Amino acid sequence: MTAASVKVPAYRFRLSLAAYLVCVVVTTALLTGVMMLFRPALAYSVRELLGLEPHPRATPGSFYTVRVAPVLEEHCTACHGKNRQKAKLRLDSYPAILRGGRDGPVIEAGNLHDSELFSRITLPASDDRVMPPSSKPPMPADDATIIRLWIAAGASGVLPVSQIKNAPPPVAKVKFVEVDEAAVERARAGQSELVRRLQKRYPGIINYESRMSANLEVDASLLGASFGDADLRQLAPLSDHIVWADFSGTALSDASIEVILTMKNLRALRLNNLHLRNSTILPLSSLKGLRSLTVVGTPIAAESISTLRTEGVRVYDGNNG
Amino acid sequence: MAKSDKPLGTSPDHYSVRVGGLTAATEVQQRLLQAQTRRHFLGTCATGLGAMFFATMLGGRASAGSAAASTGGEPRLNFARDPARPLAPLPPQFTPKARRIIYLHMTGGPSQLELFEHKPVLTRFDGRDCPASFLAGKRFAFLTGTPKLLASQYPFHQAGKDGNWISDRLPYLEQHIDDVCWIRSMHTDQFNHAPAQLLILSGNARLGYASVGSWVTYGLGTENQNLPGFIVLLSGGTIPDAGKGLWGAGFLPSVYQGVQCRPRGAPILYLDNPPTVSRALRRRMLDVIDEIDRQTHAEFGNPETVTRIAQYEMAFRMQLAASDAMDIHREPAAVLARYGAKPGESSFANNCLVARRLAERGVRFIQLYHAGWDSHGQAASFALNPGLGFADRCRDVDQPTAALIEDLKRSGMLEDTLLVWGGEFGRTSMRENRGGQLMKWVGRDHNPSAFTVWIAGGGVKAGMSYGETDDMGYEVVRDRVEVRDLHATMLYLLGFDYHKLNYPYQGLEQKLTGVNPARVVAEILA
Repeated sequence: MTAASVKVPAYRFRLSLAAYLVCVVVTTALLTGVMMLFRPALAYSVRELLGLEPHPRATPGSFYTVRVAPVLEEHCTACHGKNRQKAKLRLDSYPAILRGGRDGPVIEAGNLHDSELFSRITLPASDDRVMPPSSKPPMPADDATIIRLWIAAGASGVLPVSQIKNAPPPVAKVKFVEVDEAAVERARAGQSELVRRLQKRYPGIINYESRMSANLEVDASLLGASFGDADLRQLAPLSDHIVWADFSGTALSDASIEVILTMKNLRALRLNNLHLRNSTILPLSSLKGLRSLTVVGTPIAAESISTLRTEGVRVYDGNNG
Repeated sequence: MAKSDKPLGTSPDHYSVRVGGLTAATEVQQRLLQAQTRRHFLGTCATGLGAMFFATMLGGRASAGSAAASTGGEPRLNFARDPARPLAPLPPQFTPKARRIIYLHMTGGPSQLELFEHKPVLTRFDGRDCPASFLAGKRFAFLTGTPKLLASQYPFHQAGKDGNWISDRLPYLEQHIDDVCWIRSMHTDQFNHAPAQLLILSGNARLGYASVGSWVTYGLGTENQNLPGFIVLLSGGTIPDAGKGLWGAGFLPSVYQGVQCRPRGAPILYLDNPPTVSRALRRRMLDVIDEIDRQTHAEFGNPETVTRIAQYEMAFRMQLAASDAMDIHREPAAVLARYGAKPGESSFANNCLVARRLAERGVRFIQLYHAGWDSHGQAASFALNPGLGFADRCRDVDQPTAALIEDLKRSGMLEDTLLVWGGEFGRTSMRENRGGQLMKWVGRDHNPSAFTVWIAGGGVKAGMSYGETDDMGYEVVRDRVEVRDLHATMLYLLGFDYHKLNYPYQGLEQKLTGVNPARVVAEILA
């Protein structure tokens, strides 16, 4: 029992722990209070967290979502977004924009003069406070106009896009889709072996429509008269995948039409300079996806052509210019 | 190189000059060598060497879709091909709108103000001093002092369903006014011919960059293995100021460069057999050379040797195919008349007809040049005055261009062929005053700030007019289209994101559109 002399009573330990915790809480609260005095943005987010602020939101069809967000995305969020927050400012969401940055709010709804965001983007290019900075592509006038109209109208997240008149028309953009290799490989799985074999046998004429597709294009015209009915039968197992085919100038006869009719997904078919009879052309109506047919130099009765045309197929027989 | 005492194919000189199709493994090695700058090497010294080793080990398994860039960049599309078939077709990135391009380049810069740009205000101020604002910060080839404004030398009228304005110089093209898309707001940053031609045809004003045609052939290959994928036809008497580099492959493997075909005699130089050599004898010679090449390849394993064999074989096949494609004698008289073509001549008309024949034979990129559009007014043949040089140039191109559009349209090929017509820049709204003098003939100086290009065919809105210049036709005021935007749009129509069609060289992923942001002109897409 020699240890008894150094034994600390348990209640004292509990007391000091409690005192310590109280100190921590009080200090944190004090510090937070002080910080909130100097950091309005933080104050805002704390109030928001406690439910003291109305939660700002942006709706899908709003002027903000449709017009403003894309402008900010293009010119601002690389430095004021998820990855970097220069001046502690984020412009990649509606609440974040209202919250502002290190120096407070950047937008004063309805008041362009006091909206830092607007004044920065309209500074002359020579000013070193101009945004985007001079090292980056400048914001086009139309984009600045969109920001101006939005702030002037109250910087709302819900105001519908139609409510702001005389906004510059949006610039059309194309969307590039990434190649999803795994998905493409899956889509091609059932046929890739056969495609490879036939590509070896008929070099250059069987190709995938694109790197993202399992659809095939066949250009047998390059082989000319050396491509005949027997060759087309070799391709028959791939019929479902063929969306574009050119058999011009080949030795295909009427017998091949049956195989062509199995190509249910054909969009364009080139049959120039073939020795076909009229009766064999009409059934092409059953190819529902066919949009374009070329029969220059292939004798086809006019009624055949007009039937297909009434079904919306563009038929080129060498006479229409 | 021929005098080198080393065996053919091992000289580093030979290796670097022609880097044809490579096997996947050597492709990776090659890319590493090109992409590995000093900065990369120092930055990744510890892991870099290991990575190089592993890349070599794993290179053979590069997959068909895309290969990760070996120096840590974005994944890029894989353009590796069987070395024996460097021009083998590869699918585009996404479903294309156009399968081939016929590019009609009007060398010298045709005046948009005498052809497409109707500017009544300019006519009103004809002969007055141009505003000072026209000169501030501008550089000109010849204009000095305060030049005078110059009205169009030819009358304009409206045509087509949308009432587009066109001058009286292009009556045949006018028949197709609703088939083409007019880009009136083209802008370049080069005001001299050679750099401006290089910019619009290779994406960079300096020599050594890959031409549009070689990018396209690199990306897509060509379906017809008996003809080059990229063919160039010249007319108008002179070769372009920037020279044959305009159809060069730059940093791309040289197998993708354009092949110039001549209008008379043998279409491709040195392709035909000499009089004493029969085709059978040529075949036996090639068989022997092939055998030696194969032994060389077995010994040294250089993929360039395989490419060389492939090139010999292609040339042998081309002996027949090229002559056949270029031979317009066999075209019906009515067709020759429609183009205004005369077999045996060197003319834009013949070249347009050949262009159609090449397109039918699966050639990927057909580039025509017609010289003589540099209408400064320094001579009668370069004058805008009614009836002089400019009017002759218009006559040279008008009928054949229209006939080409019509043929493509009739045969359905316009659906998947992209036609491009235009010069390297436009011409000023001011009359040229070379040396500060009033010149005998009327001419205009180069204007990089605004010019008109029209495109037609696969994926393009027909009959559309895009962009706008000011009342004097001097500056673009709406929907400016930079040269790189035009390039991005062309590549998009062929099924490529212009970022993704790139090639590692000098530490940079080189692109046709260069380093500045480009935009696909989505408004003109059908």
